[in-house]
Amino acid sequence: MMTGERFGNDRDQRSGTSGADPTELLRIENLAVDFPTDDGTVHAVRGVSFALDEGEVLGIVGESGSGKSVSMLAVMGLLPMSARVSGRAVFRGRDVLALPERERRSLRGRKIGMVFQDPMTALNPVYSVGDQLAEAVRSHEAVSRRVAMDRAAEMLDLVGIPKPAERLSAYPHEFSGGMRQRVMIAMAVINQPDVIIADEPTTALDVTVQAQILEKLIEVKDAVNAAIILITHDLGVVAGVAGQVLVMYAGREVELGSTAQVFTTPRMPYTAGLLGSIPTLDTTENRLRPIPGAPPSLINLPPGCPFSPRCPLVQERCIVDEPDLQETDRRDHLAACHHWDRLAACDDPTTFFRTGAGIR
Amino acid sequence: MIVYIVRRLVVSFFILLGATALVFWLVAISGDPLEDLYADQSPNKEDKIAERTRRMHLDQPIPQRYLTWLAGVAKCVVPGQGCDLGTNQTGQDVKVLLGNAAGATLRLVLVAVVVAIVIGVTVGIVSALRQYSGFDYTITFAAFLFFSLPVFWVAVLLKQYLAIEFNDWLADPRIGPVPMIALGLLSGLTWSAVIGGERRRRLTVFGVACAVTVLLLLYLLAVDWFTYPALGPGLVTVFALGTAVGVTELVSGLHRRGVLHASLAAAGVGIIAQFVLAGVLEDPSWPVVLLLAASTVPIGIGLGMVFGQLDKPQAARAAVLTGLLTGTLVFTDRALSAVHGYSQRVNGRIVATIGSDTPNFTGDFWQRFIDTVTHLALPTLAIMLISFATYARFTRATMLEVMSQDYVRTARAKGLTERTVVMRHAFRNALIPVTTLMAIDFGGVIGGAVITENVFGWEGMGTLFINGLERSDPNPVMGFFVLTATSIVIFNMLADIAYAYLDPRIRMS
Amino acid sequence: MTDTSPGQAPSLAPGALGPVGDQPEREFTVTARTSGQMVRRRFLRHRGAMGGLAVLVAVILLAFTSIGFGPVDGWWGKDYTRTAPVVDGGQMTLDLLPFVDGDGLAVGEHPFGQDNVGKDYFALTMRGTQRSLIIAFVVGLVSMLVGLLVGTLSGYFRGITEGVLMRITDVFLTIPLLVIAAVVSRRWSGAGIVVLGLVLGLVVWVQLARLVRGEFLSLREKEFVEAARALGASGPRIILRHLLPNTIGTVIVNVTLIISAAILLETALSFLGLGVQPPDTSLGVLVSVYQTASMTRPWLFWWPGLFIIAIALSINFIGDGLRDAFDPKQTRVRA
Repeated sequence: MMTGERFGNDRDQRSGTSGADPTELLRIENLAVDFPTDDGTVHAVRGVSFALDEGEVLGIVGESGSGKSVSMLAVMGLLPMSARVSGRAVFRGRDVLALPERERRSLRGRKIGMVFQDPMTALNPVYSVGDQLAEAVRSHEAVSRRVAMDRAAEMLDLVGIPKPAERLSAYPHEFSGGMRQRVMIAMAVINQPDVIIADEPTTALDVTVQAQILEKLIEVKDAVNAAIILITHDLGVVAGVAGQVLVMYAGREVELGSTAQVFTTPRMPYTAGLLGSIPTLDTTENRLRPIPGAPPSLINLPPGCPFSPRCPLVQERCIVDEPDLQETDRRDHLAACHHWDRLAACDDPTTFFRTGAGIR
Repeated sequence: MIVYIVRRLVVSFFILLGATALVFWLVAISGDPLEDLYADQSPNKEDKIAERTRRMHLDQPIPQRYLTWLAGVAKCVVPGQGCDLGTNQTGQDVKVLLGNAAGATLRLVLVAVVVAIVIGVTVGIVSALRQYSGFDYTITFAAFLFFSLPVFWVAVLLKQYLAIEFNDWLADPRIGPVPMIALGLLSGLTWSAVIGGERRRRLTVFGVACAVTVLLLLYLLAVDWFTYPALGPGLVTVFALGTAVGVTELVSGLHRRGVLHASLAAAGVGIIAQFVLAGVLEDPSWPVVLLLAASTVPIGIGLGMVFGQLDKPQAARAAVLTGLLTGTLVFTDRALSAVHGYSQRVNGRIVATIGSDTPNFTGDFWQRFIDTVTHLALPTLAIMLISFATYARFTRATMLEVMSQDYVRTARAKGLTERTVVMRHAFRNALIPVTTLMAIDFGGVIGGAVITENVFGWEGMGTLFINGLERSDPNPVMGFFVLTATSIVIFNMLADIAYAYLDPRIRMS
Repeated sequence: MTDTSPGQAPSLAPGALGPVGDQPEREFTVTARTSGQMVRRRFLRHRGAMGGLAVLVAVILLAFTSIGFGPVDGWWGKDYTRTAPVVDGGQMTLDLLPFVDGDGLAVGEHPFGQDNVGKDYFALTMRGTQRSLIIAFVVGLVSMLVGLLVGTLSGYFRGITEGVLMRITDVFLTIPLLVIAAVVSRRWSGAGIVVLGLVLGLVVWVQLARLVRGEFLSLREKEFVEAARALGASGPRIILRHLLPNTIGTVIVNVTLIISAAILLETALSFLGLGVQPPDTSLGVLVSVYQTASMTRPWLFWWPGLFIIAIALSINFIGDGLRDAFDPKQTRVRA
């Protein structure tokens, strides 16, 4: 499990691979991604660090544009050529960011599988589902097409597609959105990977299907004994399945801790704001408490906490000095806020966002 | 699918009918067909006028003349009636005129279209994969330049400079040190831009390509290759094996040993076949050549089955492709060997500037082939520039768009090699919109052919059209138009079928 | 404290911050721009388009000021119709390498040389450029009007109107452009260049009409059109206020490309003897007349050709810049 020692205030420290936890699978250290554009450099990810153990489920939460997808695409090596990636991503003792392209390729799909957000566009329209699944097998293993097709049928069965052997020859457009996402999951796990990165796997689906897909994802993860990094903006999704949660804002990691702690006692106002904007049955008095404003542009970020323009607790220090991710009142609960103690002192931190409380 | 094609055909038929009526009417009102006779000083002027009026039915209203013409054309569709496309002003049968003209023009147009597609699509892909590289910028600029070139001007330019200068050069082939180095640098720049990669790798490629080009040119000059060109069994063997490796790399990647072995075997069969079939290849005919090409397919498939191991279909595909390309090499070798003999018969003026073939030329199969090629070369170049630019730009744009699609990212996430991602996932999808371009582009090529024929003095359909138009004589113009419009409709149909074949979403609906 | 994302009121009043209220302004988002500004900015940044625009303006200015236009006299003294003794075999006197051989820029008496009857070839080329430009712009204008009209009618009204108009465009599409252009121009080219431009414009509008129709078909299903209709807006009002402004990008880009194609079409027809009729001239006529001179006096062949290329190329680059500016992601089919 995550411990505070690994990521103290000195986040530049390099913990050698020798001292790593034996069950630790993937450790991200100071991951940063920049994109040069016409308007200036976009600092899409500005320092993300976490560790993932075998079989664990980690949720990465944040608004769109907060850098959650980009950071995971950087780990996969799927960013466009123009992206500049720095930091380390140590998978089973090897920094994948420093590996030659050939070896990175052999990790993709074999050791690290990925499920994307939109199943309507993530499958190639001109090849049958069976072809696309078998291709994933045959790009890593010297097996015949027949063997690969058998494996593909097995996987379709595993993800709950009826009559898998017949459906192999069907094309993506013949499947519904939920069924396509099942195919995507089958594709991600067909080589029994150690990690599945699921990038908003349920966002594009009907609400009724979302729960089924999520459940299937966890079921499949257990069947192949993989860990999952679940990227989402939906706190409800994380609450149900993730052991740990990482909250991102403006390219930064702003809070990291066990799901229970982060959800019940957030130590960063942004997280509190997110929790306050979920509709629940018992928030009758004030209904929703949305976060005002919009996230900042990632070009020309000013000094100070990027959340300060929207934060009800903002003080002069927040505008000058960007807080580091640091331990809070609990060692394994990290937050990047100068005022985590004010949240700790409050019963329900979401009330800071109540309309009229400190904001007009 | 069949219902769809039939419906398209019926609609096309009516549109064609409308188009013929429009063109007929416009040509008929475009001028006075008797104009040249008014200035006639001969005593039987009145008779001539009367005769032409009768022949062209000028006493009838235009719609009636159109219907008369249409009735004649209708016989083409009814079996056993014999076509009647009418006669021109002077009474020659348009059907006969068209028969003589059509072969040359269709050859010109088809060769230009095929070459433009092959080169344009290839360059477009490379340009997209090397976006914002020197190669990309060069191609982009070249494409814009080609879009802006007047075909007739380029044709005159090619005819007056390239052909004549090149023929002069061939009379005494020498390359000075400056052009030699320039050619070497050009080759180095091109290859390093195409292959790309790290700075170091690019420099290596640049150096190697430079050196190889210069050495190759020196060697070719030393053995007097430009006077006696040929590949010879040695080079055919080297190129064939190289082709086998290249095709394997494109089809599956070299690590698929089964595919590699099948391709190499296909190349080997081709190399051996050139000796075994030496007698046949001495003076073959087109049916024989086509038969040989067709026989490559079963042999290639067989080799694929034998050597393919886990990748039989891919191996078969690679073997067939290698076989065809090896056959092309052997064919090229034979044709090149015939160049010297041909050159002597045309006084060393190899690249022709007039006509679609040398009048009354007799020679063996290879010499006749060279004669056709040298007559085709410049007009084809002139009309394919615009098409090439269109295909290169469009393919580039489509590839860039496809490469940014989610399914390409999925393919990468599966851990496929870049080659598989590009060829199997991106290119295959990019081909779908490119097929629609074929239909649009074809009409433009026909227009280019009309102009080019005029410059190069071809007795083709373009000439038929222009001469007919200048005399306000609808029948030859209509003969030209019916043939071109029909081929445009057929081309559209082929594009639609290719579209449906490539896209399962259309195929199944 | 400012938050300048579009349409967003400042989310925090300075007063709420107490002591930090007078801190310096902080930019958190890029400045909002209207779409018109975005288009202009992207266009002005497009190097190819800017280069093309510079060349085109230079060519137009040169052509129209040098020998004058209509009653206005130009600064170039020689007349394109006046014959004169042929000096020095009609050699061009323009120094093509002005600063390489060290003798500075020399224009000379006949910078582009003289033709075989001693006409000043510079004046003749300028005259040809004027004529070709006028025809191309008339073609652009006419085809824009017709294309917009047909595209609008068939895209908005659907039904029989659409069916008939689209079948008409199909008929035009079956005929190779050069063929139909040659036929109409043979009939009307004698009536002068404006008429020639007019009839050519009447045959090249087809692709534009189809594009406009396509845009209309997708736009008319959009919510803002539904809303306008629900509010009781009339058909013409919806077309003028809601649909046409949204097709402006497509129209401008394609009209630019049509103009560039029209230069090539006119010169090709004139070359074939079907376009501009002597004694009037155009760049195509010049190439046609002097093509046989290309070996002995190559400048007579090169100059009109180079001007055709300069005009077509610069307009093509402008079109590319406009396309990128209006829709950075759109792919293009040239027809």
